[in-house]
Amino acid sequence: MSEALHDPSLMSQSTALPEAALAVRDLDFYYGEKQALKSITMDFRKQSVTAMIGPSGCGKSTLLRIFNRMYDLYPGQKATGSVLFDGANILDPALDLNMLRSRIGMVFQKPTPFPMSIYDNIAFGVRLHEKLSRSAMDARVEDVLTRVALWKEVRDRLKEPAAGMSGGQQQRLCIARSIATKPEVLLLDEPTSALDPISTARIEELLDELKQDFTIAIVTHNMQQAARCADQVAFFYLGSLIEMDSADRMFTNPRQKQTQDYITGRFG
Amino acid sequence: MTSAAAPRTQPAPIQEARKLPFWKGDRLFRFLVSACALLVLVSLGGLVLTMAFGGSKAFSTFGPSFVFRNIWNPVTNQYGALAPVFGTIGSTLIAVLIGVPLAFGAAFWLTNIAPPMVAGIVGTAVQLLAAVPSIIFGMWGFFIVVPFMAQHVQPFFRHHFGHVPGIRWLVHGAPFGYGLLTGGIVLAVMITPFVTAVMRDVFAVMPPMLKESAYGLGATRWEVMRRVIVPWSRAGMIGGVVLGMGRALGETMAVTFVIGNANTIGWSLFAPRNTVASLVALEFPESAAGSLKLSSLLALGFILMLLSFTTLAIARWLLREKKA
Repeated sequence: MSEALHDPSLMSQSTALPEAALAVRDLDFYYGEKQALKSITMDFRKQSVTAMIGPSGCGKSTLLRIFNRMYDLYPGQKATGSVLFDGANILDPALDLNMLRSRIGMVFQKPTPFPMSIYDNIAFGVRLHEKLSRSAMDARVEDVLTRVALWKEVRDRLKEPAAGMSGGQQQRLCIARSIATKPEVLLLDEPTSALDPISTARIEELLDELKQDFTIAIVTHNMQQAARCADQVAFFYLGSLIEMDSADRMFTNPRQKQTQDYITGRFG
Repeated sequence: MTSAAAPRTQPAPIQEARKLPFWKGDRLFRFLVSACALLVLVSLGGLVLTMAFGGSKAFSTFGPSFVFRNIWNPVTNQYGALAPVFGTIGSTLIAVLIGVPLAFGAAFWLTNIAPPMVAGIVGTAVQLLAAVPSIIFGMWGFFIVVPFMAQHVQPFFRHHFGHVPGIRWLVHGAPFGYGLLTGGIVLAVMITPFVTAVMRDVFAVMPPMLKESAYGLGATRWEVMRRVIVPWSRAGMIGGVVLGMGRALGETMAVTFVIGNANTIGWSLFAPRNTVASLVALEFPESAAGSLKLSSLLALGFILMLLSFTTLAIARWLLREKKA
């Protein structure tokens, strides 16, 4: 660290890069006795999309679930090391989890609309953290639904149950719900794996828009998706980070043979 | 029709393609399962008819007002259903009021908070409790709950609430220990494991991702429970409550031991009352065939069935599909 500060070449490089929203250092993770992540060190840059790829069970989803401490819900799971977010270590047991989760949103593999109206799905998260007037809440709902390109489709049925929407609409609603609390980081765990190609394309377009305002970390099994959406790509294998680089470089000229083999479909 | 195409050999008619004997084909299977379903209908109809015909003498003697007559006097041969029906509904409501929140808490803890190991052990204990025969609860109620109510609970309530207007009547009466509240408490202990088991299953099938979505927005356990888990599990939870109510309505032995068996009506929770099932069980052996008393007991059975059906109907109504 101090070395970097004194090295002019490194200085200029680090100031040229947008600073890291999440800085992962020596992170280990255990499901009971089984180690799922081994000494992960990586940065997630602000206002960019970082894709995590790798075969099933390589630990990429596990990593996402550390960032909002979702693993805390399950006894026997533990993480060591550090993840710095806005000057605080996310792994700190004293951290206010509800506050953390309002600042780091998550979207899952399948749409998970709550059993309530479309409007209330959005308002649910907002109400937990902010006290908005009726009109301010209406404005917030309209704003986020517009951002996920859902407003025109649902403006006339905001009071209807969210379960009545199509799968692609539901997933966009879940994204809208996550950004309604104005988080800084958005975690996406294979957000399009249950969707048809058209809905997938819409969500990918959406990511491009959203990265203006959010730091996005996305887990995907789809190489093309990573190539299309991501600025950086990280390849995981058996709980280790094998390689991380810009998307262009990862898909054209990876340094590691394992990465090469995986992205060309030789294993995985 | 009269085209020049060469005539084709007709394929065999589709009906003759596979002609199986009756005992090998789908027809036998269909017949068997239809018979099973029919048997259920026939038994239900048979039960209702037996009760209705058996009770017809009571209904024709006292008229429909049999249901609302507050009298049960074998000496003067005057009978009415009001007191036992009151006791049945009262003790069931008490049981549901006490048992359902307990069951909800236990089921929620088992599925959402307890470590898996502990949840497994406690879950098994709940199932064991659900398998205990009701006569055991009756004896336990008789030897433990009744004295406890007489020595501690009732004196406490009388002392503190005996002079409060409005509540005074609820705690009125001599401290026997027997009574509506004691019956309700024993019933509550009895139905809690059932309702817990149903609710636990309902909570267990909830997709973890849905809960995680709510936690992921920064909701607390309480908020996740109230806004997501409960609305999502509403139907199953109502099912559990109805199951518990059904058991409480018809429970005989556990209640007979502790309710005091007095055919009376009143506000006091501590006064001896009676339930339909308990009254029938006690007086059936002493009723001569063809007597008005026996007919009145069968009429009570008929009313009890109606009560159960009403419970079910209310549950159906609560679970009706909301029209979009």
